[in-house]
Amino acid sequence: MAEPVQLQRMEPAIDVSEVRFRYSASGPEVLHDVSLRVEQGEYVALIGQNGGGKTTLAKHFNGLLKPVAGVVRTMGVDTRGPSVAELARTVGYVYQNPDHQIFAQKVRTEVAFGPHNLKLPPEEAARRVDEALELVGLREYADEFAFSLGRGLRQKLAVASVLAMSPPVLVVDEPTTGLDLQGSRNILDLLGRWNADGRTIIVITHDLALVAERVPRTVVISGGRIIADGATSTVLSEADLLGKAFLRPPQVTRVAQRLQKFGIASDVMTVAQLRAQLRLALGE
Amino acid sequence: MPVGYSIYVERPSLIHQRIDPRTKLAALGAVFVLALAFNHPAVLGGILVLVLLAAQLAQLSWRSLLPAMVGSLWFLVLSLLIWPFYVKGGPSLFILFGSTISVNGVLFGLAMGLRVALMVLAAGVWMMTTSPQKLTVGLLRLGLPYKAGVAMTAAIRFVPLLNAERITITEAQQARALDLKRENPFNRAVKSIAIIGPLFVRSIDVAQSLALALEARGFAARDGRTSIVQIGMTTTDRIILIALAAACLLAIGLRILGIGLITRAYL
Repeated sequence: MAEPVQLQRMEPAIDVSEVRFRYSASGPEVLHDVSLRVEQGEYVALIGQNGGGKTTLAKHFNGLLKPVAGVVRTMGVDTRGPSVAELARTVGYVYQNPDHQIFAQKVRTEVAFGPHNLKLPPEEAARRVDEALELVGLREYADEFAFSLGRGLRQKLAVASVLAMSPPVLVVDEPTTGLDLQGSRNILDLLGRWNADGRTIIVITHDLALVAERVPRTVVISGGRIIADGATSTVLSEADLLGKAFLRPPQVTRVAQRLQKFGIASDVMTVAQLRAQLRLALGE
Repeated sequence: MPVGYSIYVERPSLIHQRIDPRTKLAALGAVFVLALAFNHPAVLGGILVLVLLAAQLAQLSWRSLLPAMVGSLWFLVLSLLIWPFYVKGGPSLFILFGSTISVNGVLFGLAMGLRVALMVLAAGVWMMTTSPQKLTVGLLRLGLPYKAGVAMTAAIRFVPLLNAERITITEAQQARALDLKRENPFNRAVKSIAIIGPLFVRSIDVAQSLALALEARGFAARDGRTSIVQIGMTTTDRIILIALAAACLLAIGLRILGIGLITRAYL
C-alpha cells in the first residue's frame, strides 16, 4: 500500500495575525489589527514615520513584546510561549544603536557572546565568529578594542554579533542611522548577501532611496496599521499612499513620474533604470 | 518606547502648587524631629496618620504610596522581632529563649517600626509632591551654590533617562540570547557585565553631551541666572512654618518631661 505523499509545507518565517498591542492596560492602542506574513527567504523593508509602530511591530517578532490580542508565530512557533533568549535562536534582532550592546573589550569576544549564550561548542562558536567577521568585513579588526571602532564599524560589529548566532530570521532596526551613504550601502549589501543564502531579513529604515535600490518587498506602517504591502517598485511609486505616512517616493521615482508624458514608466526605482528608460524614449 | 521613571507626580493640589518647596523641606525636617522625639507607638501612629492625610490632601493615590509602606513593613517586622529582647518593663507576656517578653518591649518594637515607616513615608510624600526644578530653585535661594544646584537637577533628571537606557540594553542583550534568570548566581553576576558595561558607556556619553550642550548654551557665563520656575513664600507658608516650629519645640519639651515615651533608656 502506497503511503500518501506528505506535502512538505514551509512555515512562514513571520506570521502576524490580527495583532493588537498597547504598552499598558490603560494606554492607547498602538497596533490595530495588524496582519503580516513574511515567507522564508524574503528580504522586506518596514518603513513609516517615527511613532508609527514599526519598532513596536518588529519587537513582536522575537517576543520582546507579546500581543494583547492576536497571534505572532516565528517559524511556526507562537511567541507567547518561549522566552526572548530562546527565540533568539530563530530570530536575530540588531538594535539601532550599537552602543546599547557593545560591552566586551575585544571585537572577537563581543561577537562570541551570542554563540556562547546559545551554548555552542567552542570550535563551532569560533568558526561562526570568524564567518560573521569575514562577512561584515571586520576580520582584520578581530583583536581590536571594540569601543575604539568608528560608528560605521561599530554598526557592522553589532550586525556581526547577531549574524554569528546564525538565526534563520534577522530583524535589523534602522541600521543606517548615523552612517554616511557608503556605510549605509555596505550594511544593506551585507544584508543582501546574507539573504542570498536563503535567510529571511526584515529591515526597519527611513532610507527610501536605499530600499528602492536594494530591497524587493516593502511594508508601510502608519498610525499602527499596515497601509501598504507589496513589491517595492509598486509601493514606492504610489505618491498618494506614501503621503499618508508622511513619506515621498525616492527622488529618481518622482523625476520619472514628472516625465511620464514622455513615455517614462512611473515605477522607476534607480538612476540606472531611469537612464535606460530615457534612452528608450529618445530612441537611442 | 521604554517608559521612563520619575518619583515626582504632578497633581493640581494645594501642596503641589501653592506651598513653597522650602516650606515642604522644613515640614520633612519637622516630621523627622517629631519621629525622633517620641517613642510611644500611639503618638508615632498619630503622626503617621497626619502624614497620610497630607498625602490625601496632595491627591496622591494609595497605590503610589504602597512601595514606601511595603518597604517599611519589613522594618516593622524586624523591629518587633528584635526590640522585645532588649526593652523590659510593664506586664510580662511570655518567656522566649529564656528571655521574658514584656508589653513595653513589644510596644517599643512597634514604635521603632512606625518611626522608620513615618520617615520613609514622609520622604516619599515629599519627593512625590516637590518637583525637582522647584526644589533646586528653593535650595538656591537658601544659598546652595548654583553649579551644585544644576548638578542636583541633572542627577534627578538622569534617573528616568538611565532607566530607559537600561531597559533598551537589556532587550538588546536578550535578543542575543542572554537569559539571566536561568543562570546560577555566580554566572548571573559575571554575565551582568553585558548590561552594566554598555550602561556605563552610555551614561558617560550622555553626561558628556549634556556638558557640551550646557556650555554651548552659555552655562556659567555669569554668576547666578534667572529661572523660569518662580517660587515665593505666602502667608500660608508662614503659618505652616510657625506651626512646624511650634510642634518641634513642643515635642522637644515633652521629650524632656518624659511624655509620649515608652522608655527614656533609648532614643
